Amino acid sequence: MTLREIIETLQAKVVLDNHDERMVVERARASDLMSDVLTRVNPGALLLTGLTTPQSIYTAEMADVTVVCYVRGKRPQEETLRLAEERGLVLLSTDLPMYESCGRLYKKGLKGGTET
Amino acid sequence: MTKTLKDIAAALHLDVRTGEHLLARTVTGGYAGDLLSDVLAHARKGSVWITLQTHTNIVAVASAKELCGIIVVNGRTPEEATLRKAGEEDIPIMVSTLSTYDVVCQLCEMGVKNGEGV
Amino acid sequence: MKSNGVNRTLQAARTQELIYELKVQQAMTTKVITVEPENTMEDLRQILKLHQLSGTPVMNEGDLVGIVSVEDLIRSLLEGNGSEPVKQRMSANFVTLYADEPLVHAVQKFERHGFGRFPVIDRKTKELVGILTKGDIIRCMLQRLEIDFHEQEIRRYKPSDWFAELESDRTTLGLRYLIQGRNFQRAGEASSKLKQNLRTLGIAPEAVRRITIASYEAEMNLVIFTGGGELSAFVEPGKVTITVVDHGPGIPDIERAMQPGYSTAPDWVRELGFGAGMGLPNIKNCSNELKLDSKVGEGTNLQFTVFT
Ligand SMILES: Nc1ncnc2c1ncn2[C@@H]1O[C@H](COP(=O)(O)OP(=O)(O)OP(=O)(O)O)[C@@H](O)[C@H]1O
Ligand SMILES: [Mg+2]
Repeated sequence: MTLREIIETLQAKVVLDNHDERMVVERARASDLMSDVLTRVNPGALLLTGLTTPQSIYTAEMADVTVVCYVRGKRPQEETLRLAEERGLVLLSTDLPMYESCGRLYKKGLKGGTET
Repeated sequence: MTKTLKDIAAALHLDVRTGEHLLARTVTGGYAGDLLSDVLAHARKGSVWITLQTHTNIVAVASAKELCGIIVVNGRTPEEATLRKAGEEDIPIMVSTLSTYDVVCQLCEMGVKNGEGV
Repeated sequence: MKSNGVNRTLQAARTQELIYELKVQQAMTTKVITVEPENTMEDLRQILKLHQLSGTPVMNEGDLVGIVSVEDLIRSLLEGNGSEPVKQRMSANFVTLYADEPLVHAVQKFERHGFGRFPVIDRKTKELVGILTKGDIIRCMLQRLEIDFHEQEIRRYKPSDWFAELESDRTTLGLRYLIQGRNFQRAGEASSKLKQNLRTLGIAPEAVRRITIASYEAEMNLVIFTGGGELSAFVEPGKVTITVVDHGPGIPDIERAMQPGYSTAPDWVRELGFGAGMGLPNIKNCSNELKLDSKVGEGTNLQFTVFT
């Protein structure tokens, strides 16, 4: 699924605009606990999370997640934003809660991938 | 198209760890999240809660918000104390081997709607 | 040292190779704005303006029936025919590309036909899947050249090479990071720097990922459970060893701490996204060797090695 489709599906705001909308996102992860995100290989993944601290960015960086989308209208803290900018990460924010975000992306065909 | 916990447990092959006798409960929606403050603030009564948290506080939260049950994801093992407390508070706890994203996808497939709101 | 001239020739050669390697689908724009045959030329003008396009495919009920460009629009407007339908002006004799064709075909077609854009269709389904302009080709090539260049830069630094030049029985590069306890603003910084450094050293991305996921988990444990400590990475040919040392409070039952799901993290830590009890198991999974020593009241010493 392209970044463009994800933005449309989640009616997301683009918080950090350093992206190519044709970029392809392979799979999605939904979690608020960072060690969980780190248990899987995530290259090219989208992370849906309610956690807006700097660790949301550090975690994405370590796990090679490329797009972070904050759910339920949360906005990243200032330090978080700075870190994401430095790393060229794509940051989105959607007003939808995590449950609805997952459901909509699934209906558009985005895979999760429970396998490790 | 109302669904009960029993329907969900069967369709998602959940491992029912406690509250077997409560599975006739109707599921009014779904709420996913691991930050307790979020769930406290936003989950709607009667929803089933999808989380990877396993410590005892999840029972207190589910009970306070009158959620119909908890699905623990990633095949995690709920702590003994959590199960005990869940038994006392009548909160069914079920375990799925899938991730949050995949559990939510399957629930949506079954027609369980988003359970946000007060 | 290569002279600049040679470098430039090499670059040019690489560009030519790329035109053969890359496929149309890698360069095309997939979000295609289209118009219908019954749309007026005035509609077209607004659409082109809104999306800043110089032309667009014409679709009739899912079928590609033509292509209309800003030149067609200008001609129409000059003749004062803004209200005529697009189908009057579009070229129905258009040329398409298949998504899986090499870019070189596209380049040849641009030269041969002089069109500004080509609709791209799927070879099997014949459906419109994208559109390709010269600008798309240039953007795609530049991106690729940049990636190539970056990879070359990294290869030049390959530690195995300069390790080989340093004479010793065993050469080790050490990187040390101080970690502050309880400082969540900076928790992760050390592992982030380590990751960048390991990349610069040319260590394979897969190994870098495993090393830094593990070091990040260890760093977080120091921040959350201790007053702080030190994280060191020792880079050697074939492996990276990380040691993480703190001065308390220590782990009473190491076997238990290593179990997935076991955590003593307080509520506030969970609200900050940690405390799933997965950190130590994660470190174990990421590493080839692991040693964890701890004394209550004294401190904890974690050491793990990842083969690279
Ligand atoms: N350096 C340390 N000093 C003291 N105790 C520690 C240290 N590292 C880990 N522990 C103890 O071991 C437990 C398990 O650690 P682990 O990293 O596996 O999980 P966690 O940090 O609690 O949660 P997560 O890592 O999933 O965020 C911790 O809860 C803590 O009690
Ligand atoms: Mg930890």
